[in-house]
Amino acid sequence: MTFFSRLLSTLSGLFRRDRLEREMDAELRFHMSALIDDQIKQGIAPAEAKRRALAEFGAVQSFKEDCRQARGLALLDQLGQDLRYGLRMLRKNPTFALIAILTLAAGIGANTAIFSVVNSVLLRPLPYANPSRLYTLKSNQSLPDLEDIKDQCQSFDALGGITLQALDYTGGAEPVQIQAGLVNADFFNAVGVAAAIGRTISEHDDRYGAEPVVVLSDAFWRRFLNAAPSAIGKSIPLSGNSYTIVGVMPVEFSTPIFGKFVGVWASVKVVNPVAAKFRGVHFLRTCLRLRQGISVAQARSEFEGIDDWLAGHYPENNNGRRSVLIPLRELAVKDTRPALIVLFGAVTLVLLIACSNFANLLLARSAARGREMIVRASLGAGRARLIRQMLTETMILSMVAGGLGLAIAKLGISSFLAAKPDSLVLPGEVGIDGRVLGFTLAMSFVTGVVFGLMPAFQAAGFSITQRPQIGGATMTAGGRAIRARQALMIAEVALALVLLIGAGLLIRGLSLLSSVDPGLDTKNLLTMRIELPETRYKEIPKQTQFREQLLDGLNSLGGVHAAMVSELPLSGAWLDHAFVIEGRPPLPAGSEPDIQTRTVSANYFDTMGIRLLRGRDFGAEDRADHPPVGLINASLAREYFPGSDPIGARISWARGPRNWMTIIGVVADVKHFGLDAPEQPAFYNLYDQLDEPWKRWMYLTVRGEAPASTLLTEIKQQVWRLDGQIPLSEVSTMDEVIASSKAARQFNMLLMSTFAFVAVSLAAIGIFGVVSYSVTQRSNEFGVRLALGAKPGHLVATVVKQGLAIALTGAAIGTAAAAALTRLMSGLLFGVSPLDPITFAAVTLLLIAIALVASYIPARRAARTNPMSALRTE
Amino acid sequence: MNRQNDLLQGTLDMLILKSVSLQPMHGYGILLRIQQLSNERLLIQQGSLYPALYRLEHRGLIASEWGESENNRKAKYYRLTAAGRRQLKKEMENWKRLTAGIDGVLDALPEEL
Repeated sequence: MTFFSRLLSTLSGLFRRDRLEREMDAELRFHMSALIDDQIKQGIAPAEAKRRALAEFGAVQSFKEDCRQARGLALLDQLGQDLRYGLRMLRKNPTFALIAILTLAAGIGANTAIFSVVNSVLLRPLPYANPSRLYTLKSNQSLPDLEDIKDQCQSFDALGGITLQALDYTGGAEPVQIQAGLVNADFFNAVGVAAAIGRTISEHDDRYGAEPVVVLSDAFWRRFLNAAPSAIGKSIPLSGNSYTIVGVMPVEFSTPIFGKFVGVWASVKVVNPVAAKFRGVHFLRTCLRLRQGISVAQARSEFEGIDDWLAGHYPENNNGRRSVLIPLRELAVKDTRPALIVLFGAVTLVLLIACSNFANLLLARSAARGREMIVRASLGAGRARLIRQMLTETMILSMVAGGLGLAIAKLGISSFLAAKPDSLVLPGEVGIDGRVLGFTLAMSFVTGVVFGLMPAFQAAGFSITQRPQIGGATMTAGGRAIRARQALMIAEVALALVLLIGAGLLIRGLSLLSSVDPGLDTKNLLTMRIELPETRYKEIPKQTQFREQLLDGLNSLGGVHAAMVSELPLSGAWLDHAFVIEGRPPLPAGSEPDIQTRTVSANYFDTMGIRLLRGRDFGAEDRADHPPVGLINASLAREYFPGSDPIGARISWARGPRNWMTIIGVVADVKHFGLDAPEQPAFYNLYDQLDEPWKRWMYLTVRGEAPASTLLTEIKQQVWRLDGQIPLSEVSTMDEVIASSKAARQFNMLLMSTFAFVAVSLAAIGIFGVVSYSVTQRSNEFGVRLALGAKPGHLVATVVKQGLAIALTGAAIGTAAAAALTRLMSGLLFGVSPLDPITFAAVTLLLIAIALVASYIPARRAARTNPMSALRTE
Repeated sequence: MNRQNDLLQGTLDMLILKSVSLQPMHGYGILLRIQQLSNERLLIQQGSLYPALYRLEHRGLIASEWGESENNRKAKYYRLTAAGRRQLKKEMENWKRLTAGIDGVLDALPEEL
């Protein structure tokens, strides 16, 4: 008979259990009556026959048990027994059960939460058709380049391109800005996701001058169109044009690289034909679907040829550009991976600490249950059975903790998603799926088995020859268990210290970051973005008129200073141009250096508090009909005019006909790219002298006398008085802009500190537990010593020393471990070395102080021992 | 009543298989049959018989069904399965080999050593 059919018989036995029990009873009854019948036939009196039969049968219950065992049910029966017994034991000591479960649940919950993020970002395939064949190019492409690549490239089924552009939706109560994914027709082919309703952008829609159509995101459809299916075929106004809705994407659809947004997808040729035609505008992210049977290496070598061809035909735009083909996921997670790995490592340490606390609790408890074990062993319980019993109890705890951990994780995930900075783009949903469930189950199981076995063996280690004794000190678990617990505590302190140092480094880095001078005055400064729609503001004069009227209107308000800049510092916006300096030796086309270009209103530097270092600021004489002028920042002066005076020098953009602009002054650097990033060389020109009609966007910067947000209503009125269909977007104070530029670091720091806090609390609870346990164990000793005249203070010192020894050993190991591990997080740090001595010292001292407190509290109890009561228990 | 202790481990299974190989039987019948065939030399205890029966059934060597006894009582009858027949054959061969071996040793004469 095979193993499986036996297993089947066991299982069916389990389910048909009642019937089998009944049959067994019936069979034994038959046997009994047959036996009695036979004896009566032999002439024995019925009553006597019955007595004899019963006697012969013996202990029916015990051999029924043998029968069940023979049927293969014993193991399961015993498991049931163990479970019932275990639950009873846990109910008898609910505090222990609660602490053990909560400790472990905290560890498992935190781990599950972070794992579900890791799962969504790093492990789960991207939510697109056949995602392993999706690739992208490291750098952006222009549409003409992408189309040339498509013509020449045989390696791909689809070459999608996408860029994000803000559009104004004016179909609602107030004009609002929404995101538009500008795509080519191949984009949706590459992604391989169909619309939930209607269709996506087709080849027919993706032509210059085609009828404007849009595909809506689910969020847009719900927020603005009440999720009406009849929306398909209707028209919506976007930035002054009317677009026909052709489809709605599924709710779970997340755009590669950009994530989810409230907005639409439309043809790049329809929405932004100017930029689309421009070979120099490398604004498209790519999403390439590798053809079946083609290897990445083949595709890469094909790209080499295409790169050469592009550089040969269009050196001005493509000289030196190389196409680096990487898996799409790699680009999507590039900024997230290092932080996630560090956080996952940190949360694993938290779990380890929780586990050792758990083991510690179990050890203490099994020591307390020593007598029970001896009694059970002397009543005939086998060693294996005792171990199994203990293990069952531990498994109950760890499984309940796992369940609770899942609930904690769910909570953790929602707070994670609420607190997460916008810069953290998640490629898919974060949630508890099968893989996460499996991970949690495995975690609970392993912790239950591994950390349950240790006390189980210890408990079963009592020999039966030990007489069950009723007594106190004589029943202690012995030195071995105490040492095991101390070792666990040392490990815990070491792990907690590693986490605390990690958090300390992040906190210190963040505080250094916050003390960085952004190079401008943020007080009472409100900022927002405005973009003039092309339909009504195609020509420069109309744009200039709007800007002048708006600034005049705002500046005529009392105590208000308003200015404009095309790219606000720290907002993430930037624009660069290749440039040449008059009189310098000419460079080969395509190799001219790029500099940041920002267009401002004349009063910008004054309003923002950006210092003028040399020369003069823009003045009334710098008007449209005067020679174009500009200011440079200190970085540009340093890099391109070392040791010479830039004032009076002239520069021009490298593309297009030369239009020389004179440098009239130098301003101080601002932290444009983040408080943690260096400023780049930048050139400021004037909106009034602008010759680029496509630059229709601006950030309004308004400084008031009161906190800036009070001005918002006033500003809205001013803008909408000029044009009622222009939305104000990205409305925030400059302080908020700076804060959100730190959001990713702050988020890492917050998570790390949370983990460190949990870790240190667990370690403190652990030390407290170990020390109080030993105080209880030694209460006789203390009583005797007090009776003999020992000073209470001396006893306190003795006990505290024990806790301190654990803390110091743990701290020594932890410092060494941290020194080895913090290197891994150097990418997340700012301004501090991973071995920053101040952080190491401060954090170690903090942890030792906490350990001192955790051992002082139980130590005081030692001093308060009543000598008489301690002696009486002996 | 203690004589079943003398039974070698596993021989009870073989005896049961042999008993039910002749005809389907209930537990009490098997008990009587073994006692009778062994001329009352082997007495089987109920406490050993039924666990053995359940074990054999669980291993698929015997099968059971409910039927009527001689006294018109409902009784559970056991019969040998094909696997049981193979097992019985194997065990009998083993047993004969074993006893032959033991006999060889016990019957040895001093001059043969």
